[in-house]
Amino acid sequence: MSILSKNVSLSYDKKEILENISIEIKKGKITTLLGPNGAGKSSFLNILSGDLESYNGNVFYDEKNLTEMNIQEKAYFRSVMAQSQSIVFDFSVKEIVEMGWLEKGNIKYSNNFETALHEILIECDIEYLKNRKFNTLSGGEQRRVHFARSLLQLWRESSSDDPRYLMLDEPTSNLDLFHQIKMMNTIKKLSNEGIGILIILHDLNLAFKYSDYIAILKSGKIISFGEPRSIINNDVLSNAYGIKIQVNEKDDNIFVNYV
Amino acid sequence: MSSIINLRFLSRTQSFILFFLLILLLIVLLISFSFGSYSFPIFSILIGNTSAIETTIFNEIRVPRVILAAIVGASLSVSGACLQGLFRNPLADPGLIGVSAGAALGASTIIVFGSSLTSAFIFSTFLLPLSACIGSGVVILMLFLLTKGFGHQGVTYMLLVGIAVNAIASVGIGVLTFISSDSELRSLTFWTMGSFGGITWSLLIPALVIIFISFLFLLPILRNLDILQLGESEAKRLGVNVRNLKYRIIFASAASVGASVSLSGMIGFVGLVVPHLIRLLSGVNHTYVVIGSALMGSSLMVFADLLSRVLIQPAELPVGLITSAIGSPFFLWLIFRINKI
Repeated sequence: MSILSKNVSLSYDKKEILENISIEIKKGKITTLLGPNGAGKSSFLNILSGDLESYNGNVFYDEKNLTEMNIQEKAYFRSVMAQSQSIVFDFSVKEIVEMGWLEKGNIKYSNNFETALHEILIECDIEYLKNRKFNTLSGGEQRRVHFARSLLQLWRESSSDDPRYLMLDEPTSNLDLFHQIKMMNTIKKLSNEGIGILIILHDLNLAFKYSDYIAILKSGKIISFGEPRSIINNDVLSNAYGIKIQVNEKDDNIFVNYV
Repeated sequence: MSSIINLRFLSRTQSFILFFLLILLLIVLLISFSFGSYSFPIFSILIGNTSAIETTIFNEIRVPRVILAAIVGASLSVSGACLQGLFRNPLADPGLIGVSAGAALGASTIIVFGSSLTSAFIFSTFLLPLSACIGSGVVILMLFLLTKGFGHQGVTYMLLVGIAVNAIASVGIGVLTFISSDSELRSLTFWTMGSFGGITWSLLIPALVIIFISFLFLLPILRNLDILQLGESEAKRLGVNVRNLKYRIIFASAASVGASVSLSGMIGFVGLVVPHLIRLLSGVNHTYVVIGSALMGSSLMVFADLLSRVLIQPAELPVGLITSAIGSPFFLWLIFRINKI
């Protein structure tokens, strides 16, 4: 049970953006993509989510080729939180979150809608904002609303064992420290419930603390992949980011210093 | 019903407002049936206590006219609301962006060239609305190409495109006016003013059918139109078939605006003003906005037509004049408000 990319390559205007990437996003695990700007992280996430279709190689959702799935099947299988566009009309926060409720899920669980919505509003700490206009919120608050929407898209009854995957492109950007940690804890909780997570982060310390696997991308290639402890060392990180990075360990925690 | 429209997302206030608008529409219809250059006490009509001539006037002139006003108001408002949603642009209006002008050009072409072609056809009553629908459809397709598939464009860009399309259509109508005969000229002039006079059941029925079908076509996608506001790629991630959504709105708007304009001429600002009034009352989700726009658009247009019939009796004001008089200051206010944001 996983999302599998096999030899995925992408080029644009003869420029190689991704080269032969093979990676497995496992159910119930957090896989983090790290790397400098322009390394191809977002492009790779967009390929795995099914948004970008002009790639070479194969992507499988539980052994089913992504190209054979229609958009409804994909929507039921994975939800995506990407960088979002501005919204013209004055929707309320509650209405924006509700847009995550899929018609397919809607029929099956329609009696649970209110419960699910309430649960998620509380979990994302936006219950007190639910009647506010979305456009009047700060950038960080808007991120939390979109996060809640992508969670509602994946909501199932606890007895359900439907495969579910969550893909997040820098979800913690614009968030204050408290909400960064809160969001990462929520993500950890979801992975413990069996949801497979693919996440792009820029904060190395957050990545080490929460990830089960880390892939480091540079110039469209994976230069390192594995459990944080096994792959993190000064050389790999310094090579990836082009600055001197010092990895430290204290009381079972790894953290970095920029030298 | 619930499988076609998703009523779950209507708030209690919104349901109440829709119910209120429905009652309002029924009242306005009753008043409008009764008053005009000739007043019918509505109860005598209901109990059949009228002369034969009165019954004929009521059934053949008054009723079709009021119904026409109602469906034209509904279809302009609904396509305004849907186009605003599709373009993600609060200033999209069938009149402003040239869809009505396209329909008028299509209709004018048939008036001038059609008489020689169609008099022999049984389909002649269908030909006028059909040609108007083609005209509005061509304009929407043009907009589709110019805005690169209805991508999220600036408000200014859309309005400039609208001005250009309107100008092109008026050149066409101008040329047709120039080469038309006297009787054709009279019919053409009618298009620039907008009026509900002279309608007959045989003209009304085809338009009624077209507009009804296009509404049915729109109802199942209102929820998706909400989701589209998150952006096209976001909507796809949420399982919305965006292409199908666009085609439905293009088809339904072109058909209903075309059918309306072919019978009533160009009536401005209704499609712009009504959806905004509805949003001001209680929220922006499209299930509420589109159904509300249909109800309020009908009431408003029936009322405007009533005014046009009673204000300067026994003469008639063109109804387009009344809607523009109400709509243009509102348009200015809207531009002012958007500018402030």
